[in-house]
Amino acid sequence: MRIGLVCPYSFDVPGGVQFHVRDLAEHLISGGHKVSVLAPADDDTPVPDYLEAAGRAVPVKYNGSVARVNFGPVSATRVWRWLADGDFDVLHIHEPATPSLSLLALWAATGPIVATFHTALLRSRAMRAAQPLLRPSLEKISARIAVSEDARRTLVEHLGGDAVVIPNGVYVDRFACAETDPRWKGTADAPTVAFVGRLDEPRKGLPVLARAIPEVLSRFPGARFLVLGRGDGSEALEDLGPSRSCVELLGPLDDAAKASLLRSVDVYVAPQTGGESFGIVLVEAMSAGAPVLASDLGAFQRVLDGGQLGRLFRVGDPAALAGELVALLSDAGLRTRLSARAGEAVRRYDWSRVAEQVLAVYKTVRDGEDRVGEDPRTRGLLSRWRD
Amino acid sequence: MPDLLGWWSLTAVVLVVIGWYLSYSAARLDRLHHKVESARAALDAQLVRRAAVSLEVAGALDPATGLMLAGAASESLGDGQTVAGIDGDGGAPLEEAENDLTRAIQAAFEDPEHVARLRQNPVTGDVLDALAEACTRVQLARRFHNDAVAQAQRVRRKRVVRWARLAGHAPSPPMIEIDDSLPPGLVT
Repeated sequence: MRIGLVCPYSFDVPGGVQFHVRDLAEHLISGGHKVSVLAPADDDTPVPDYLEAAGRAVPVKYNGSVARVNFGPVSATRVWRWLADGDFDVLHIHEPATPSLSLLALWAATGPIVATFHTALLRSRAMRAAQPLLRPSLEKISARIAVSEDARRTLVEHLGGDAVVIPNGVYVDRFACAETDPRWKGTADAPTVAFVGRLDEPRKGLPVLARAIPEVLSRFPGARFLVLGRGDGSEALEDLGPSRSCVELLGPLDDAAKASLLRSVDVYVAPQTGGESFGIVLVEAMSAGAPVLASDLGAFQRVLDGGQLGRLFRVGDPAALAGELVALLSDAGLRTRLSARAGEAVRRYDWSRVAEQVLAVYKTVRDGEDRVGEDPRTRGLLSRWRD
Repeated sequence: MPDLLGWWSLTAVVLVVIGWYLSYSAARLDRLHHKVESARAALDAQLVRRAAVSLEVAGALDPATGLMLAGAASESLGDGQTVAGIDGDGGAPLEEAENDLTRAIQAAFEDPEHVARLRQNPVTGDVLDALAEACTRVQLARRFHNDAVAQAQRVRRKRVVRWARLAGHAPSPPMIEIDDSLPPGLVT
């Protein structure tokens, strides 16, 4: 099948949607499909050969955070050309409600169009204003996918209609078979705890973890907290005082190092306070066999099967976090049981299973329509711009 | 005099805007109707596929179960009529045929242990996977279809569409309500 994927965010900056699009593209290519990804990227940035660069991305504030996106006539022309050259059987657009390539592609194309909604965090005021503008474009989508029950609910509330839930994918074996690293391996007296996420984004919960640390140290004085992620963590960690030394900032690590970190530690903590739609890192930690302790956000509860596959604590509550963490660190048997159960359940997120479901959607929409084409109405507008 | 000219040009502008909006709305509705048709064609194709795969599976089962499944599948395949033909001519029996096939599939594969045994055989294993996929795709296609119908109905309800009769004589597309649930044994 010839598949066109559109990612609205720049591949220069790491992010959940970008990783998802990259992994999906690579998995589909390995299955013998012909895939082209359209994403923002500078013309001189080195990119994989399946990626079509749509030009420099501009940082704009949208829906509460800064995203690097493309818009304007130059991008629109590139989208149009990519569609014409690609001759796709199916067009798969990610985050179609973002003012970037996705919306442009939706605007310019007709035919079998699949769209994936990733976010569970839509500002309702912005969405209300954008609704009448978006709706006619969104009506062109033949099949809508949401990455989680929470993302689906957001979609239903703000835009109406429904979506099938297909979770984000993970290459489970890359985590399950990663090498452990002696630097990050804990002992009975000095257990290791991992945190993954932006340090200066409070939503990711580093401040909550920081406030729980003193209590954990009173029980495990040798405990080490390994923090993976970019950003400036000094504000979140400033109150720690002398116990600051138990926190090791690893900075941003590549995928392989992240896998061996999660494979080595005794517990992975996810103290996020909101805005999480799925919780891909939880699934990665479960794949790597790290026992998971997470805040009881809806998305996390669903991934952890209500606490069967990992422990939950009340969101934003450092004392509850500390209590659960101490309980987990003092019970090796419980950790082994959680990790074994999670290791089995996590198979359903493996790319082999997830991509199969995505392909079933592609095949279903393709059965009813011809190929992807250019929308004659927008084509007129574009040719005016190009001259 | 200039006043009159101003009024005329204002009227002209308003008329042009109204004209543009009407043609825009008509195109939007037309696109939605087309989408519903495509989604129906897709649903139709999936239903035919499900029936065809059921026939194939029937051959690999014990004669009693096989006969029941084959009977329901051939009812569904019928004489080329399909669910998509429901609207005008009181085609409820066709909808019923699809529900009957769903029930037959459920009856045949209700016991997960039985299904697990069938899966161990490489031949029946493959056709069972094909059946599970066909059933899943019926679910997907029906959901996408009903979503498209809901969007079309929403635009048809708009005042401008009703007053200007933009929908013309095109009948309002109906939702398709059939039972498309999978037996627990087949869920992968």
